[in-house]
Amino acid sequence: MIKKYEWFARRKYTGWGFTPATWQGWVYVIVAILPFVALMSFAPINQARMILIAIWAIIVGVDFIDIVIHLPKDERDRLHEAIAERNALWVIIVVLAVGVGYQAASGATLGIFKVDPVILVAIFAGLIAKIISNIYLDKKD
Amino acid sequence: METKIAYYRNKISMTQEELAERAGVTRQTIISLEQNRYNPSLYLAYKITKVLQQKNIEDVFILK
Repeated sequence: MIKKYEWFARRKYTGWGFTPATWQGWVYVIVAILPFVALMSFAPINQARMILIAIWAIIVGVDFIDIVIHLPKDERDRLHEAIAERNALWVIIVVLAVGVGYQAASGATLGIFKVDPVILVAIFAGLIAKIISNIYLDKKD
Repeated sequence: METKIAYYRNKISMTQEELAERAGVTRQTIISLEQNRYNPSLYLAYKITKVLQQKNIEDVFILK
């Protein structure tokens, strides 16, 4: 969609993604959300509405990802982002590991192996992402 | 790393915003550099030296 990446800024203190940095950014976000509000308010509840909402979600999702990827960042921003993301990731890993440990321990008391596979998949997927990133970065420079 | 960015910037009557725009960074980065709180990449150091119309990088960035 028509937009300028300068309208947005990296979300620093309230989670991930982006936040509008200018009034144009706010207008853009509101305009992007409007079709969903219109569909929910005025369209009859049927399969066509579901399909339209799905199409809207895909378009807006791809567009928002595009904004996040292309947010204007200088080298200091990138460094800060990398450190903040690394710290966030370590906290996530520790919490997941504690969760796995707790589930395994509570399962063991019952004599069964009971660990949420989603947690294991998340940790494994993170490991794969790290390996791929390091291979790419080592080859790149 | 110590910098003389503010000195050379004032010498050519350039604002932090102008320097930031011409160097392709945010004003916050220029502020951090002027306050000796951030060590720039070699690329950025050269770019800022050029924007400040200096020949030698060592004149703007002093390794302590």
